[in-house]
Amino acid sequence: MRIAVCAPQVPFVRGGAEIFVERLATELRARGHETDLVTVPFKWYPGTRVLSQAFLWRLVDLTEAESRPIDLVIATKFPSYAVRHPNKVVWLLHQFRQAYELDRTELGQFGESAEERAVRRAVQALDRRVLGEAQRIFTTSQNLQDRLQRSTGLGAQVLPHPPQELSYRCEEYGDFVLSVGRLDRAKRVDLLLRAAATDESLRLVVVGDGPDRRRLEELARHQHLDGRVTFSGRVGDSELADLYGRCLAVYYAPVDEDFGMVPYEAFLSEKPVVTTNDAGGPLEVVADRRTGLVCEPQPAELANALSWLRDHVDDARSFGRAGKRVASEVTWERAIDRLLA
Amino acid sequence: MRVAYYSPLPPQQSGIADYSALLLPALRRHVDVAVARRRRPLFRKTGVALYHVGNDPEAHGWIVDALRRRPGVVVLHDFVLHHLVAGTTLGRGDAPAYVRAMERAAGPGGRLLAEQVAAGAAPPPWETRAEEFPLVDEVLDHATALIVHSRYVADLARERGYARRISRIPHPVWSAPGTEAEAFGGAPLVGSFGHVNPSKRVPQLLQAFSRLRSSHAAARLVLAGPVSPWFELEPRIAELELDDAVLRPGYVDEARLWSLMAACDVVVALRAPTMGETSGAALRALALGKPLVVSDVGWFAELPEDVAVRIPVDVGEIEALTAALEGLLADDARREEMGEAARAYVRTHHDLERVAEAYAFALERAAGGEAVADALLGEIAQAAADVGIGADCPELAEIAGRLRETDVV
Repeated sequence: MRIAVCAPQVPFVRGGAEIFVERLATELRARGHETDLVTVPFKWYPGTRVLSQAFLWRLVDLTEAESRPIDLVIATKFPSYAVRHPNKVVWLLHQFRQAYELDRTELGQFGESAEERAVRRAVQALDRRVLGEAQRIFTTSQNLQDRLQRSTGLGAQVLPHPPQELSYRCEEYGDFVLSVGRLDRAKRVDLLLRAAATDESLRLVVVGDGPDRRRLEELARHQHLDGRVTFSGRVGDSELADLYGRCLAVYYAPVDEDFGMVPYEAFLSEKPVVTTNDAGGPLEVVADRRTGLVCEPQPAELANALSWLRDHVDDARSFGRAGKRVASEVTWERAIDRLLA
Repeated sequence: MRVAYYSPLPPQQSGIADYSALLLPALRRHVDVAVARRRRPLFRKTGVALYHVGNDPEAHGWIVDALRRRPGVVVLHDFVLHHLVAGTTLGRGDAPAYVRAMERAAGPGGRLLAEQVAAGAAPPPWETRAEEFPLVDEVLDHATALIVHSRYVADLARERGYARRISRIPHPVWSAPGTEAEAFGGAPLVGSFGHVNPSKRVPQLLQAFSRLRSSHAAARLVLAGPVSPWFELEPRIAELELDDAVLRPGYVDEARLWSLMAACDVVVALRAPTMGETSGAALRALALGKPLVVSDVGWFAELPEDVAVRIPVDVGEIEALTAALEGLLADDARREEMGEAARAYVRTHHDLERVAEAYAFALERAAGGEAVADALLGEIAQAAADVGIGADCPELAEIAGRLRETDVV
């Protein structure tokens, strides 16, 4: 088949979604499908820009390329699924969350003016219309499936995907807790820093970069975490695998996350994941006292959970190994079989 | 955003007043609502106005007056507004306005009929043939967006040339209160709720019920609702010798209505002609998990087959109704299945919170949608113009078409 994988591209930003779509295209090619990754730059502010940028996808003609038909379009993330194609399948990573559950939170985008409220509703209307055109919709998590059903009335199948390829291994259950991910407020790394402030024995390594980094570094200084927290920025694959391999546990507690690959990466490194009971998608694989620990989103609660793991390394190992069994079930082979079935 | 909310409200006895009493608390969780009163309409400090329009001039005349002064979002509870228009024109001594409305609806023939009606030389068409002259046009003129409860009314509005946004929002359903069923001697019990008159097909229902009695001698029929003044109910009951079998409690309050309905084995909600309305009684029956028998018209015909048996109007109506009642009363399992399906259906489609969210959606789009469309179209047109695609270029038509497809403007 000739397949176009569609994804928006925020210039100079690279994260889990970008890794995912590149990998998807690679895996499809490996199975003999002529596959290309189609991206369009995306900017979602100010005002109606989110709509005009989404609309760009509607003008993209992917019915054929060089006089040969494109058999299938796989759209992934808002607004790439606005693309027109008679055989459009959506493997949904994210809707535009600011128009949904993040609205009227500190992570929201739209104010209370009539125009801003109407832009938000127009995003929702767009979703209903263009997602409704899809032949099939897959979501990466149950959380996302539920949210899609609530917001659009559309049904979907849950189809998680494997994390990025790294040389996953477990070397030890070391003396630091690892946080991996883009540094924006939704990832809630500040909660981890505040937890560390309540327990002087906790050491942290924070991998990733993003718009919240300066605030987080400031917070670390303010909380007197100097020497106990390392902001590593973006790191290479080898270093990341090494950090996963040596850490005690992995912290991952975004606000009501759609899916999140970090728990899978932690599990493949046989590391338990500590999350919060409002984290959304991660709760589908992080089971309390089976593959990690789930606590209230409070610094003291989180600190207790992390220090408990430090004091119970055998349990940490047991949770991590149980997690590995969960993560090993999610393979590209199975995912693509279902995607193309 | 603040919404000016125009609707009859309790204690006024009106289905739409009950509707608003149900909706308002839920809607207030989504948007700021200021309720307008009959002598205190709201014009300032509200972003958008919402008008509930039904066919009763007493309940809705003042609302249409306000709509004329300030266009806004209209909830069209009935498509046929002839009675409303007659009340707000002839009823206020303004015969020329009635004549104009009829002429607009039906041309010179309509004008002639209206003049005769105004002169007392022809019977009032709103009593007998209102559906031929819906007189909805003026309300549609002033509606910046429409909210309707059924595809039927949405289609009719489009047929009348309404081109703006129409949102189909199901009628919210009341939570069944868990009232004890009223005790009756005799079984089974069939119920019809609401005004007792020909448009509820009460004559046909009495005939069918009479036939049903040949197989179910102890069957009872409850007609719960006020009897329309011109409708001769008692002679019909006497003629069919149903005096002991038909219960006529008249108007019942909400608590008794639920109690009576809970006692029913089957609820009948017939209607013809339809004015495009939704039946609150039918929705209550579904919420209670009662098997429902409805007319195959309008909103009623849109109910799924697994929750309601549809009866054709006029031809074969009494036979079909008799067969439906006999079939349902003979099949306990089917009634049970229909009841389960009915509860699931209203949970999914008529959930109050979902309805309130849909209202907020429609209102927020109505309030800011024009500004958003202007900004978006301006940005796209500017980008097109920058590369030489002007208003007269076919490419612009394609771009406009794609925009319409996405429903963002």
